[in-house]
Amino acid sequence: MPDSTVLIKEIEPVIKDLAEGINNIVGQLKQLQSPLSESQSKVPKATEQLDKISEQTEQATHQMLDQIEKIIEREQEVSEGLKTIKENAVAGDISNVPALADTLVGKADESCNDAFDIMNVLQFQDITSQQINHAASLLEEIETKLHEIIEILPGGLDQPSMEIIESARKSRVYDPHADMTNKKTEQDEVDSLFAQKESQ
Amino acid sequence: MSDLKILAVDDSPTMRRIIVNTLKKAGYEDVIEASDGKDALAKLKVEEVGMVITDWNMPEMDGLTFVTNLRSTPKYAKMPILMVTTRSVKDDIVEALKAGVNNYIVKPFTPATLKQKIDEVLAG
Repeated sequence: MPDSTVLIKEIEPVIKDLAEGINNIVGQLKQLQSPLSESQSKVPKATEQLDKISEQTEQATHQMLDQIEKIIEREQEVSEGLKTIKENAVAGDISNVPALADTLVGKADESCNDAFDIMNVLQFQDITSQQINHAASLLEEIETKLHEIIEILPGGLDQPSMEIIESARKSRVYDPHADMTNKKTEQDEVDSLFAQKESQ
Repeated sequence: MSDLKILAVDDSPTMRRIIVNTLKKAGYEDVIEASDGKDALAKLKVEEVGMVITDWNMPEMDGLTFVTNLRSTPKYAKMPILMVTTRSVKDDIVEALKAGVNNYIVKPFTPATLKQKIDEVLAG
């Protein structure tokens, strides 16, 4: 049976190495905690923005389709009306032309207004573009954090430096709160603030 | 139709087209465009403009810096300025007020709101 003092001497450096190894792992885990939790908090935000984009794009598309369907229907009526005017003119009966022409002018005006409504709804392009930029910037922040994690891990993968990754990124300008929903309440608040300023 | 020349500043070409068309329908045919504050300042050096409509979030020079810049120039100290932006947080609006905008529209806006705000700003 070996002498216990000899045994302890033999085991001691092994235990020290083990303790050091555990300390290193704990240190690395602590270092991983921050980028991991930051990445985790950004994923739901990016998902929420992407869901909002999909929802608001669909809503805007439906609004435009509603207006386009109205314009198509009206244009068919205008076309029929013009055919009637032509037939009557050929037949030498123009008695109903002024009234019919007034109706057609009214329909053309309505179609023009509907076309303006469509153009108005197209503001969604600017708003969703800001939402996409916000989501993309959140994903880029996650990429940065994942880069930090890989660098902390022993035997990390070969990867380009963060400077190279960041230099390839597009500069993004956006309002994180950009939204397509009706802004009447917000506009009322703005008007109230400006009214207060004027009354001072 | 109005003789007023308006400068529309927005980094989104889509928004600029919407604003220009809405202005034309409202009777303001003379509209020039700029894609950000820096571009707008360059346009103002060569064009006589009676009113500015500007976005806030833009590259190169944002709308707030642009407005502050204009207000610090005696020639543009009283220029009617309307801000049209997605920003609707109270602190932002207060900041825009302090910078010197005459009125403020939250995007998405309606043509009626744009017309009404232009009329209010021009009425002084």
